Parts: sequence; C-alpha cells; structure tokens
Amino acid sequence: MRKIVLYLFFYLFHTTLVAQQTFPYNGVSNNKHIFYAFTNAKIFVDHEIIIENGILLIKEGLIVGIGENLELPKGTVIFDLKGKFIYPSLIDAYTNYGMPEPRLITKGTIPQMESNSKGACGWNQSVKAEIEAHRIFNSDSKAAEEMRKIGFGAVLTFQKDGIVRGSAAFVSLADGRENELIICEKAAAMFSFDKGTSTQDYPSSLMGSVALLRQTYLDADWYKKQTSSSANIPNRTIKNVIEHTELNFSLEGFNNLQKLPQIFETTDKLSALRADKIAAEFNVKYIIKASGNEYQRLEELKLTNCKFIIPLNFPAAYDVEDAYDALNLSLAELKHWEMAPSNPFALEKYSIPFAITTADLKDKKDFWKNIRKAISNGLSEKQALKSLTVTPAEMLNVSDKVGRLKNGFLANFIITSGNLFDETTIIFENWIQGISYKLNEYNSLDIRGDYDLIIDNKDIYKLKIEGEIEKLKGSVLIDTINTPINIAIAGNSVSISFNTTNANYCQNGFSGAIRLSGNINNETLKMIGTAQTPNGDWLDWQAKYKLPYISKTDLLIKIETINYGQVIYPFSAFGKKLEDRDGFNKIVYDFKNRYDAILIKNITVWTNEAEGILKNKDVYITEGRIVRIADEINATKLAFAKIIDGEGKHLTAGIIDEHSHIAISNGVNEATQASSAEVRIEDVINSEDINIYRQLAGGVTTAQLLHGSANPIGGQSAIIKLRWGKAPEEMKFAKADGFIKFALGENVKQSNWGEYYTTRFPQSRMGVEQVYYDYFTRAKEYILKQKSFIALSEKEKAYTIPYRKDLEMEALAEILNNKRFITCHSYVQSEINMLMHVADSMGFKINTFTHILEGYKVADKMKLHGAGASTFSDWWAYKIEVQDAIPYNASLLNQMGIITAINSDDAEMGRRLNQEAAKSIKYGKMSEEDALKLITLNPAKLLHIDSKVGSIKVGKDADLVVWSDNPLSIYAKVEKTIIDGLIYFDKEEDLILRKDIQKERSRIIQKMLSDKKGGALTQKIHNKIKKLDGCESIELDYLKE
Amino acid sequence: MKNILFIILLLITVITSAQNKSILLMNGVAHLGNDSIIQNSAIGIKDGKIILVGDARSITLDKTAFNEIINVFGKHIYPAFIAPNSTLGLSEVDAVRASNDFNEVGTIIPNVRSLIAYNTDSKIIPTVRSNGILLAQITPRGGIISGTSSIMMLDGWNWEDAAYKIDDGIHINWPHIQSHKFSEEGNMYHGYDDTNKEYTRQTNELKKIFAEAKAYNNSEFKEEKNLRFEAMKAVFNGAQSVFIHSNNVKEIIEAVNFTKQYDLKKVVIVGGRDSWMILDLLRENNIAVIVSRVHNLPKNPEDDIDLPFKLPYLLQKAGILFCLNNGGDKEAMGTRNLPFMAGTAAAYGLTKEQALKAITLNTAKILGIDKTTGSIELGKEANIFISTGDALDMKTNNVEIAFLKGISIDLNNTQKILYEKYKIKYGLK
Repeated sequence: MRKIVLYLFFYLFHTTLVAQQTFPYNGVSNNKHIFYAFTNAKIFVDHEIIIENGILLIKEGLIVGIGENLELPKGTVIFDLKGKFIYPSLIDAYTNYGMPEPRLITKGTIPQMESNSKGACGWNQSVKAEIEAHRIFNSDSKAAEEMRKIGFGAVLTFQKDGIVRGSAAFVSLADGRENELIICEKAAAMFSFDKGTSTQDYPSSLMGSVALLRQTYLDADWYKKQTSSSANIPNRTIKNVIEHTELNFSLEGFNNLQKLPQIFETTDKLSALRADKIAAEFNVKYIIKASGNEYQRLEELKLTNCKFIIPLNFPAAYDVEDAYDALNLSLAELKHWEMAPSNPFALEKYSIPFAITTADLKDKKDFWKNIRKAISNGLSEKQALKSLTVTPAEMLNVSDKVGRLKNGFLANFIITSGNLFDETTIIFENWIQGISYKLNEYNSLDIRGDYDLIIDNKDIYKLKIEGEIEKLKGSVLIDTINTPINIAIAGNSVSISFNTTNANYCQNGFSGAIRLSGNINNETLKMIGTAQTPNGDWLDWQAKYKLPYISKTDLLIKIETINYGQVIYPFSAFGKKLEDRDGFNKIVYDFKNRYDAILIKNITVWTNEAEGILKNKDVYITEGRIVRIADEINATKLAFAKIIDGEGKHLTAGIIDEHSHIAISNGVNEATQASSAEVRIEDVINSEDINIYRQLAGGVTTAQLLHGSANPIGGQSAIIKLRWGKAPEEMKFAKADGFIKFALGENVKQSNWGEYYTTRFPQSRMGVEQVYYDYFTRAKEYILKQKSFIALSEKEKAYTIPYRKDLEMEALAEILNNKRFITCHSYVQSEINMLMHVADSMGFKINTFTHILEGYKVADKMKLHGAGASTFSDWWAYKIEVQDAIPYNASLLNQMGIITAINSDDAEMGRRLNQEAAKSIKYGKMSEEDALKLITLNPAKLLHIDSKVGSIKVGKDADLVVWSDNPLSIYAKVEKTIIDGLIYFDKEEDLILRKDIQKERSRIIQKMLSDKKGGALTQKIHNKIKKLDGCESIELDYLKE
Repeated sequence: MKNILFIILLLITVITSAQNKSILLMNGVAHLGNDSIIQNSAIGIKDGKIILVGDARSITLDKTAFNEIINVFGKHIYPAFIAPNSTLGLSEVDAVRASNDFNEVGTIIPNVRSLIAYNTDSKIIPTVRSNGILLAQITPRGGIISGTSSIMMLDGWNWEDAAYKIDDGIHINWPHIQSHKFSEEGNMYHGYDDTNKEYTRQTNELKKIFAEAKAYNNSEFKEEKNLRFEAMKAVFNGAQSVFIHSNNVKEIIEAVNFTKQYDLKKVVIVGGRDSWMILDLLRENNIAVIVSRVHNLPKNPEDDIDLPFKLPYLLQKAGILFCLNNGGDKEAMGTRNLPFMAGTAAAYGLTKEQALKAITLNTAKILGIDKTTGSIELGKEANIFISTGDALDMKTNNVEIAFLKGISIDLNNTQKILYEKYKIKYGLK
C-alpha cells in the first residue's frame, strides 16, 4: 500500500447538508441534486457482506445504490477508488459529543437535605429524567473532527450527569446546523449509579443510589397511575381537575424514557450485575456500558443476557523499576494490565453481544492502537467491525439508517487504503450524510523512508524521513551524528534544510543551513533538485529511496504476544484459578482439591449440643451436610472421600460474625437521613474483598454485613457465607430472614461529626426516640393504606389513586409484620430501655442489641423484652457513651439467660473472634463451651439460622473449622475452614497460593519492564490502603470525605 | 462473694504492709523473662529488690528470713510487662478532645514532654495493670518531632511518684514519601499524583534541626538558651534514644541513613511494618524495632495473611532486638491486650519465652531500663506479678498479685467494681 496512486478528483464545495428548508440563505442557492459514484472499491456492506469490486452510489446524503454492476445515471460524479476499501462509518453508542459540561458546584460544608434543581423537578437532584440531550445539543466541529478522524460518522450523545440522566440523542458527526445533525432525537435512556454533580446529600453510598433508582421506578409508576386512575373516575372530565397531587417533571420524564433502549453505565463488573438486578425487578433490560473488566466475571454476566458497550481503556504499564514501589501494585492491577486488552475477545468468545465505544479513552488517538491490541489478543476483525457498526446501530434502534451500506441508509462511509484494522492503513475520507471530510489526501505522497542523499554528485548522506504524514520530520547522518532536518512537501515539491559545516559549502569554518528544493517522483519517490549552500552556491542534489519506514508502534505490536495469565476468582490475591477449558470458553466451578465428601478422623468435636465436647470422633460430611458423627467411621467404604487426620486437633462449627462490615462496596452508611430503611447491603456485596479470605483463615464461615450506625434507622443487612470466589448473589445465606440495622446514641446524633453536622434531626437522645415514634406511626398508617387498597374491588382499584409504594415504609412495615428483624447499635442503658419501650408500645421486638456495652445494666429488662445481645469483648473508652463498658458484659448477659454473641465490627478482629470469645473466660469465668457458643451457636440464634448452622449436628450445614489446638487458646490456628462441605481455606493450600502470587507478580512485572524498554508509556503506582469500615470509625471517615 | 472480700482484704493488708516487708513466693512457675523457666521456684523480695531466684526443690531456704511467704503453687510468676509507645494517662476518651493530651501544636517540638501530662488517675490505667502491664513508655504523638517520652509505672499518686525513667527519648514521625489513597472497588486511580511534594522539605527540616542542635550542644558558649536544642542534648551523647516511627521500607532506609549521618547512638524504629525486608541493614546498624501492633491486618492484599502475626518471628530469626507495642487506633484502652499479642506471636513462630521477652526484657533493653527491670533476676527491682495461668493467653491470664518495686499494687478497677455491683443486683455468683 505504500505507493499511492494519484487521483484526479473533484474538490467538492459541500459545506452544508441536504436541505434546510426553513432557513434563509445568503448569496446564490447551492442546492445540489447530484449523484456521486464510488467505483472499483472493495466495499464492506457490513461485517459479513463484502463486494470485492463494487460501486456505491449516493445522492443527497443517502445511499441510492450499491452493487457490482450498477448502471450510473447520467451526470454522475465518479470517483475511481481502485485498490481502496469502503466501510460504513463507525458508530459510537456512548459519547458526550456536543453536550454542555455539567456545572460542577462545590458542595458546602453544611448538610444539604433538599434538591437545588430549579422548577417542578423531583425531590432528588441526581434524578434528571427530564433532561433531553437533543435540546441541549450543540455541534462542536473540533470534537467532531477528532471523532471523524478515527472513522466515526454518528454517535449517541447525552449529558453524563446523575443517576437518571434523561434521554440521549443519536447525532451525526457532520458539521452544520443541529437541525440536520440530529438523526434520532430520543435514542436511549441513560442511567448510572453515580450522582454526578448533585450536591444533595442523598445518596451518599452506592446502596443509596440503588435504592433511589428503585424508588424512582415505583414513584414513576405511581405517578402514571394517578393520571389513569383519575381519568377513570366516572362522571368527571379530566380537564377541570388537578390530575396529580403534584406535578413532577422528573417522574414524567422518567415515564417517557421507558420506551427507549435503556443504557446503564457501570464502573465495575459487579456493578453490571447490580444494574441487572434492578432491571429484573422492574422488568426492563439494560444495555450495560461496561467498565472494561467484565472478563473477571463473565459467567455471571453472560447469564444476565445483557448487551454491552465496552470501552478500550486498557491501562498503561506501571512504572515498576523501583521494586519497593512496585509492592504497592496489587496483583489485580498487574493482571488487569495484562488482561484488559483481552476483554473484547472474552466477550466475543462467550457470544455476548457488545458494541465498542471510544468512551473512557484518555486520548481518542489511542483508539486504533487499542483496537489492534484487542485484535492481537484474540478479537476477530469481523466482530470488531460489527461492534463498531451494526451492533451499536441495532442497540439504538437506528439500524435502518446507519451501520450498513444499504439503499436508503445515510451516506456515512469511510474510504481507506486497505483493511481497516491494519496498522498501515490510512483513512482517506470520512463521508457523513453525503458530505466528504478529507482526512488524508489520496494524492498525498507517503515519502517516509530511508534515502541516499547525494549533493553535488559527490557528497553522500543517509537521509531518514519519518513522523506523521502531515507532520514529517527526519535527519541526515553527518559523520556519525544524526542532524535533524526541516522538511516540508506540497504536492510533489519538497524542501529540506539542515545545518552543515562541510567546508565545501561553508567559508572558513562558517556554518549554516543548506537548503534543498526539489521534486518527487510519484512512482520511485526519487527526489531531484537544487540546493543553496550557506555560501550561496547553487548545487544539484538528489535523494534515492532505499528502505520503507517502520513506525515505532509497528515494533510494539510485533513484540506483543497473546500470552496472559488466567482469570482468578475473585480477581484478587488469593483468588483461585478455575479449571479453564478451551480458553475462556467454559468456566466450571470445580475447584481443585475440593471434595464432595470429607471424613475427619479422630478429632475432638465441640458439638455445641447437649453432648458437649466429644473426644476422638470421626465426622463424615457430604453434599454440604454433616452426615455422621461416630467413634469410628470405616474409611475403606468411603474411599472416594477426602480423609483429614484430626489427631490432636479440634473441630468446631464455623464462626458466625453477627456484626461485620467487610465485603461491602462503596459505603456502609447511607448517612444522609435519619432513616435509610430503604437501602440494602445485599445490593452492594463485594465478593472481591481480601478480608473475606483473611476471615476464612480465622475460621469465620458466616457474617452479617451490616449497614453503619449513622442514623437511627439504618439499612437492611445481608447475611453471607464466606464463599470466597463466588459472585455476590451466590454468597448470600439462602432463605435467611431479613434484618435491619438501627442505631442509638452519639453516632446518630452526630456528636463526633464535627461542628457543621448540627442540623439534622435528631441531635439528642430525646430526638432519637421521636424519630422512632414518628416513623413507626407513619408505617402503621402505611400498612392501613396498603390494606385498604388491597381490599378494593378491581373496579374500584381502576379509579382509585393507589397508595405510593415507599421502600422505606415497606421495610418498616415488614418489621411491624414480624418479617424483618432489628439489630440495634446501642451503648447506654437509657437508650436501650427507651427503644424497648418504643418497641413494646408500637408492637414490635428488638431482636438483637449490638455493641450493647451497658447491656449488663438492663439485662433483666432485656430478658423481659426478649432481646439478644451481640457485644464486644473488651472495647471501651473511645467515646463518652462507652465509659461504663466492661469486659464482663458478655458473661453477665449470658448468665442472665440472654442469647449473647461476641462480634467484630472490625475486619482485623473478625479474624480472631475465637480470641475475643475466650476473653469471657478471663472476664467473668465463662465456661469454655459457653465461650465458643458466643461466636457460633448464639449468633446463629440471633440471626435465626441456628437450624442450619452454629453447631455440629447431623443434618446441619457442613460449616466447620479444623483447629490446631483448643480453639479458645491464643495458640490455636485454623487449619481448614469448610463451608457447605467444601474446603474454602486450607493452611497448606494457602502456602501454595502465596508462591503462586509471587510467581505471577514477577512474571507480569518482567513483562512490564520489557514493555517500558520497548518505549511504552508508564503510569505511576499509587499507595493504596484498604478502607476498613466499622461503626466506630464511621464518623471520622464521613468527615474525611 | 466471700472470695472477693478475702482478696480485697488481703490486698489491703499487702499494700499497707508490703513496703518494709520481705516476701517469699514459693512453688510458682517462674518465667524469668530471659528465656528461662523455673518450674517450681522460690522468689524472694526485699526492699523493693529481687533477692532470691531459685529452684524451690534444690535450694536451701531460710524461710524465717521473710516476713511473709506466699504459696503460689501451680501459678505463674512473670516480670512486669512493659508497654512501649503508649498514650496511657494522656488520653481518657478518644473522641473527647478535652481528654486528650498527646498532641501539641508544632511540627518540631522535642521540648514537649509527656511526663508532666501523665494522669496517674486515668481510669484506663487500672484496667491495663490488672492484666500484668506494670510499666509503660508514655509517648507524645503528631508532628515530625512529637516530643519527649518518659517511662512510667502504672501506679502512683502523681507523675513524679510514678516516673520510672524521665525523658528517655525523643520521637520522630518520619515523613511519608507517598501518601496513600483508600482503595475501593472499581477504582484504578488514573492520573492522581499522591507523591508527598513536601517530603524533601520535611526531611531537610529534620536534618537542619539535628545539625543545629548538635552544633548548639557542642558549643561552649550559648548566647541564648534554645529549649528545642536543649531537649535534644542527650540524644547526641547516647543518654537518650531516638525513636523513629516509620513503617514503609523506603522511609525506614532513609531514616537509618539519617541516623548514621548524625551519628545517633541509640536508634529505635517504631512500627517497622516492612522491617522484614531490610533485616541485614537493621542488624548491621544495631537498630532495634518496636514492632507495630501484632493484631493487625497486612497492608496489601498480596501480603501473607499472617504477616503481622509472624513479623516478630522474622525479626527474632534475624537476630534483631525487638519488642511489641499497641500503638494505633484505640491504643490506650487496648494496651491491656499486649500480652495476647505476645501470645499470637508465639503461635506464629516465637517460642513462648521469646514471646514473653518481647514484652519484658527486650522492651526494657530497648527503653534502656534493663538494668533494673525486664526480668526476674537477682538485684533487679521487684516488678513482678503472679497469674493463675499462662498470662500470654487470654483464656488463662488472671493476675492475682502484682508488685512494683516490691510494693503490691491495687489490681481492682472500675470495671471490676461495676461487675461486682451488678452481680449483686442480679443475685449472681
């Protein structure tokens, strides 16, 4: 393709599009009704159909003919494209082209409870359903040019701001008036979990975003029904009554969005799963704007049946020259660097439909480089083309206009020098709506290469011309020194100048530039001309073409190989490889060294049952259950089972942490309102948190992931089993009761939040009580409304405005209906007493008081109420309300017959809960059996899961821990942690994983180093600390933000 | 109930009479703190000193030489546990500003002393000493040079009375080369520069004050007294230690080079999370380490999950002098768990006696008080206690009697009092 044939062509004075009938014009009208034909080209009708030698005929911005033998109308302008390729112009389904920048307002220090949006909008500033991109679209010739240069002809555009972002427009990248550029005014509805520029406090967490979106769906539905119901009221005309109790542009906008394709932006593979969960609930289907790490959870993503829009934001290599700095680079980051370019291929392999976007690229110029990278990592060219044309067009319901080269479609196409995906290919022209945009002239000569430069028929220099075609640079070799040259070409004229000290050209050591002017031969690239020396003498010169130019990026691509490590589950250190069959094709969850049947021999069994501690027992587990406990179970009959020698070891039920904040994504607190009963931890389980593995290594098998303690009525909790490697949904404890976090005292009255947080109700314990009375009074009324609506006949329902389904009230109603249970963060006796009074008078129960450090003072009252306790072993003195906390609390409560547990509330302590339980032996002389129950059977009871876990009993879940020693001893270590009969932590396997991590790190770091040597750009490594959440660190964290 | 009353009565008698009494502890398992154990020991105390350390089965005893003989058969005798790098007595309630006295204004303030702010009547202190911790290095926090620490007994009428070693060293918080970001799911941190741009200025500031202080203290004529320089005097002659708080490997290396440059005699790294990477450097330069809290999480997901647990063992194996501490979040109240951190270190590589040393003799050596305390040895002060069981294991740690300078101290605390009060309320045994 080096030699580019010179073409005569008609320069077209097209600057406006087809027709602007309503606009006046200046000068003489230049409407054209001309046919243009592009002949002799290899035409890609789409990713599947190719016409080897075809003709494309267009008129007035549309394709009017395509084929091999077209009869051209008379008076057709013909472009002979022999040797050239025509493709449909590319489509980007995710841009902000021509959108005004969202106005960023710095958030004040004072809490902002209400929206700042002007007009009859909804209550939350981040729900901007009323925004319509086509109304705020302004074409931007500079941005359009940037996109056109890389081959795009039309894009979806929207304002990237908020959780509901309104509608997006599908627009052309031609220059001109917006009136003609908008191809489809409402092409898609846009969503995300990111509140964007909203300065309103709510939502402050990811789970808050989820809840807000869910509530918006409900509200919009309710809003819609108001209209239809009032229309149904007999003997009433719609006109003369107020249809709505409120007029709400946002909800109206939201309803209008529903008929469009729904696009949801995610920032992580887990967020994609979360979005799909919402979609399923409200019976919609999202197209997922992906983040680029989907290959890390493909199996689950495939099951969503979603379509994806994927970015090519492959991370740059990190600067790993400093071995110490490189320690801050996580295995996940290293592996992602290596595997990110394989993401498109992974989706292709899994037959997941996807479009490719330029979004998230730091520099749009990287687009082709990264596409090629993806291709060299396995992506097929056919799929790449499809993902850039047909797929996005189909996603946006514009496949009758763009994405293919067919009759009646927009004349959006690109003319290239060859295969679009080749490194050397040049895009000459990008035609959009029948307008040509020249990117590179057909006739522009590519003169880059190595030459012999001969001046005055005797002086021979090596001349090198390189750089970009429009911006050439080069050098001449003079006495082993490369001297840079200035070079310019215009048509076939070339001028070159460089500094010289050659005595023949300079007088007495006088130096200066020698200037060469000449002409280039199209075929041979030989240059001939005359030069003027610094002396002023005129000399002949010529340059003979020797070698073609090889770009540096060429070199890079060449050293790249399709060689990367395996995906590990989760995508973190200590994640485990799955059996990988046929590359990405099949992922099967059969972990190596995991057995379906396990026989543990001769072990001391802490049953937590009436039998107490049994010595020298055999325990047989299979299919996830404890099947037999006996003195001797014959191993020969169970040859298939894995045998664990338990000699000298102890077996306990898995530890259950009643109060944990691990494995939660992006915020444990929705701290912005006094009640956040609508938020759910189950929406934000983070299966990739390393603390899951660390706690497994401490014998924890089940944990209740709790909302924080920033508000009197917190969020709904999630109970999970620590199934390391599984996806969030698979971690959930099956069929567990629902729980919710309440909180009292200093945290909810914002005592330690700093001087600005003094306005949210409540600010005193007096107010806390009133919050509960208020909410539960409303909840009772809500239940009445619910009941009375349900009791209506179908006919009556048709014209009765339904009650507004309120997620917050639903949660409280569940409490009142004994379907959701409370775990309440509490410290001092007055508040504990108060809440029990509220509960008794409103007709509900407090299931568990957590922390409950002054529980010992009101143990009798708690007993009467029926509340359990989940406490710290020995924490105190970190704030005023824990001054009277005593380490004897658990013992006293236990002796008073209250179901008592010891919890962690802390990722570090969570892996030493056996030690914390053992402190009750020291403080209060609890028996060892009872002490162990504090972290096993008792929390199981508090969580209503004791029929399945918490003790070693035939028929219960095989959630077990093998200890090296008495589990309550400081010297005891976990050897194996078993959940559902599968070994999730094994001391020996852990040692192997450590070595694997080191090996994998070293391998990728070496690769990065060689990449850097190859000239790749690198990025700095960041020092990261895993944010740890706990009730008692919340206030400070909140203030940090 | 009777037992408790008896113990209280016993304590009262012991307190009032112990001062001039000589006491013989018979038949206990003595953990001397220097790697040795005497299974059936005889330990004699007189005039506040240990005057007898022997095997009860083999030595001949003149029991009449002692005013009181306590049979501690089957129980364990330990040297006083020592908590270095502690804010006990400087902080009462973490969240209440008014109760915190560990952080003064200014970045370089070696002249600020913890000694005089030490509140002997802190309610936290009795809960700590009742677990066997009888001495602590009370340490200021914040800034680049936080101030000067002192070693205090965890019993005393006032700070003068409680002082064990006044102004034992100054504390430097080595500046961070790189600040950190909190990692959250889905974030890959493009473009954000977290380099500490002030690092060079901060370390230069540190170097400057050391150069100036050294010159000042070397000069014979001092035009005007400079309190900051005066406070650093003993650092240059080796009478005081320099405690450099640092965890990051690059920063520790920088700190070590810094101490060499100023020829500092006694240098201790406090924290030393990454110290296992530079064992040779630390050993060659004779630098001791006060190991960061054992009950901690590893920094990076890739780290061995038990790295903080086994760090003491890694230092022990390399022959580096180290001890344990509880600095960090909720540090004052958590000091009482120091013995169990030693227990964990024993579960992860150390022998039990090595683990014990990490909170007794090693600590005494690092703090420069090993001549008088840290182990049960003849001539040392009788800073010892008796636990009914293994004091490194929370299951068995149960301190019955404790002596500071031979005087039996009160092991009651507000928490025990509340416990007793509510047992009575509920009629529990």
